[in-house]
Amino acid sequence: MSTTEDDSTDGHSHHLPAVEDWPQGFGEASWWPFVTALGAAGLYVGAGLFLLGQGDDALVGASVGPATIIAGVVLFLVGLYGWVYHGFVKHYWSRDAEDSTGKLRWGMLLFLGTEVATFGAGFVYYFFIRVGPWPPGELPDLLSSLVLANTAILILSSVTLHFAHSALRNGNRRRFAGLLGTTVLLGVVFLAGQVLEYYEFIVGEGFTLSSGIYFSAFFGLTGLHGLHVTLGVILLALLSVRTLYGHYSPERHTSVSTVSMYWHFVDAVWIFLVVTLYVGAAFTL
Amino acid sequence: MISGLTPLAVTSVTTSVALTVSMGLVLVAMIVWLARVEDIRSYVPASDIGGGAGQTEYGHEEKPGGITRWLTTVDHKDIGVLYGVYSVITLAWGGLSVLIMRTELLDPPATLIQSTTYNALLTSHGITLLFLFGTPILAAFANYFVPLLIGADDMAFPRINSIAFWLLPPGALLIWAGFFIPGIAPSQTSWTMYTPLSIQQPSPAVDLMLLGLHLTGVSATMGAINFIATIFTERAEEVDWANLDIFSWTVLTQSGLILFSFPLLGSALVMLLLDRNFGTTFFTVGGGGPLLWQNLFWFFGHPEVYIIVLPPMGLISIILPKFSGRKLFGFKFVVYSTLAIGVLSFGVWAHHMFATGMDPRLRASFMAVTLAIAVPSAVKTFNWMTTMWNGRLRLTAPMLFCIGFVSLFIIGGVTGVFLASIPVDLVLTDTYYVVGHFHFILMAILTAVFAGVYYWFPLYTGKWYQRGLAKWHFWLFMIGSNLTFFAMILLGYAGMPRRYATYNVDIGPVAQFTDLHQVATLGAYLIGLSGIIFLWNIVQSWLEGPPVQSSDPWELAEDGLLTNEWQWFDHQRETAITDGGAESEETDTDTDDNSEETA
Repeated sequence: MSTTEDDSTDGHSHHLPAVEDWPQGFGEASWWPFVTALGAAGLYVGAGLFLLGQGDDALVGASVGPATIIAGVVLFLVGLYGWVYHGFVKHYWSRDAEDSTGKLRWGMLLFLGTEVATFGAGFVYYFFIRVGPWPPGELPDLLSSLVLANTAILILSSVTLHFAHSALRNGNRRRFAGLLGTTVLLGVVFLAGQVLEYYEFIVGEGFTLSSGIYFSAFFGLTGLHGLHVTLGVILLALLSVRTLYGHYSPERHTSVSTVSMYWHFVDAVWIFLVVTLYVGAAFTL
Repeated sequence: MISGLTPLAVTSVTTSVALTVSMGLVLVAMIVWLARVEDIRSYVPASDIGGGAGQTEYGHEEKPGGITRWLTTVDHKDIGVLYGVYSVITLAWGGLSVLIMRTELLDPPATLIQSTTYNALLTSHGITLLFLFGTPILAAFANYFVPLLIGADDMAFPRINSIAFWLLPPGALLIWAGFFIPGIAPSQTSWTMYTPLSIQQPSPAVDLMLLGLHLTGVSATMGAINFIATIFTERAEEVDWANLDIFSWTVLTQSGLILFSFPLLGSALVMLLLDRNFGTTFFTVGGGGPLLWQNLFWFFGHPEVYIIVLPPMGLISIILPKFSGRKLFGFKFVVYSTLAIGVLSFGVWAHHMFATGMDPRLRASFMAVTLAIAVPSAVKTFNWMTTMWNGRLRLTAPMLFCIGFVSLFIIGGVTGVFLASIPVDLVLTDTYYVVGHFHFILMAILTAVFAGVYYWFPLYTGKWYQRGLAKWHFWLFMIGSNLTFFAMILLGYAGMPRRYATYNVDIGPVAQFTDLHQVATLGAYLIGLSGIIFLWNIVQSWLEGPPVQSSDPWELAEDGLLTNEWQWFDHQRETAITDGGAESEETDTDTDDNSEETA
């Protein structure tokens, strides 16, 4: 660390967090957070406008909400791109060894803590209804071969990701890239399986979100989980792209390890979900 | 045709006028503020006060000038100031809305506003002050001071810090949308949003409010992750767990509570939205049921109480010893009690539901934990009192507010112990007693906030506030608070139910109700007046107050009580004097390679 003086009382060698960001030339200014927040707000405002556009006495046109949501998503992604690009990618090659690994791992770990609570509310609902009379009306065939295959695929993807990470740490980048690609593929196949299951339930058998107390839990929890898998696939794809650009080495693999933590967590949630929501609903002791 | 108007229409016109006037006042205040801040460059961050302040127009070379500086900042101190300004605006709206309600309650019938308007204001008052003021104002202090206290360069994630703030204004607009958008009625769910009422209310303003709450919840969660990561990984080498300051301890515990409670509320809000719009059964009578909502809501809601009271306790624990001339008595036990409150706070939520007919065995266990949480709270109050005991007390404005905090907190706490007891709760539940009890705690929180604002005023403005006005603020605030909320305790004993716009009843002590309500309203006006004095004092002193002449304005060094943030302040003043206000170019470019976020 280079400072003009080593004054032990201040401890402020002052890192400037946003030197490369737009607007350029200022160490503590960046438009990206503002743009990202504006995009996120657009999502929420758009959802609100969508609801205002429903019904006979709609206050706004039916397309206003979706248009705002799309604009919000675009803005959000632009902000995220600028942020991540300037924060992590732009001067990847000119940086020293990683001194921020600790805080980034902490950040992911804490985020996963919030995820426990996020999923918690939905599971609590399911347990509330599950202790009541069961089954609560007609249920579809929950333990199909599709669910079993999908579960196996997701578990396998955790295994491949784990070995990809090990390979990277052992310096085998080729093997790392191959296994990482396999993980992305398995994630996509899992999502396709989920879409197929939804299709069978909704179109084939006519069970929807509003078909009764079980389906609120089923579509709520599998939908929430599906969104998480989707995010995971996107993150893994970003890792793959950066791998193609030659990023990551045995010493520098923070984002690989944080994304791994996320992916294993989402996998664990799925196992819990299958045990309670599928198996637990199909059998009554 | 005036004569053709029904009384109802007249009231609704009065309502509109009252609302328009109050919103107009908020707008005017904002315009005045912006007009003064148009001169933003003359607001110099503390780093530039002292010697060469006038010479550098832009203050910092690290930041652009004008409004761009505030929109783009990733500096924890600037973000702290943004949180503070935002909180003052939300406090103004929360306060104005309750003044309208208190005016309505001067006489038994509904004369000023309709009961629906009353319900809407009631909802907005609670939600605004708990979600849009309570949590953000503490984030203001934590953002500004935690990095300084622990010797960090900034927060662990400066950009996430900025995003978290900028999610708040749109969140507030969504929550208040029902008042602005013509053609829809404002949400009337009360801040607890109990089902089935909140499912059945047709107004889309409820949906907008739920969306806004979710957004602000995301913001609070991002902030919490950031604070924990900062305190764990960004401490200076000489700051270890044993000498981590008490305010950072409370922020750490608070962030831990946010981590598990806000996301759960977020999911519950989405489930409620789905119930309202997409035919799910999460909280419907045939599905999860109204009690599920209450369980989930209070699993969030009770920790929320400690989320907004722990950092104020930290503020008191850090400020009160400074003006007692002694170190905090029993520092370790204040930390332990903070952690104990953090853990126990997740085991008391059902005391909000004693009257719902839940299983008596469960009820008793929640009563036991609720009584138990009084113990660590009492540990803190005794430690504050023993800190003052035999101390060299200096009754400055921050110290007065510290003592005010302890006294209000004791009244709020003692009235709460009675409510924790099931038989007493069953009598007093849903009466004004409950409102009086928790407002004593909330007013205590406000006094701690004021203590913090005055204590650090020299540090973040480089100026002095006006001491006489600060004392007027304190005494009006204390007298007003006690008038208002003691009256409410008595109203509760007399059986006045809470949340009603009128009390024009045939049976019941209407005369006493009227008297007590008038006392409560008088107190509320006094609090409002104290708020205006506070705002004037802060704004005027910030712009024109006399500059601080020393980097130890409270003369803490002689008692050995100078903490890190004042040493930072001293360093900033020295830098400002020696090289004319800006840090040297060289330092900036040299540190570029050390940009914080590496992956």
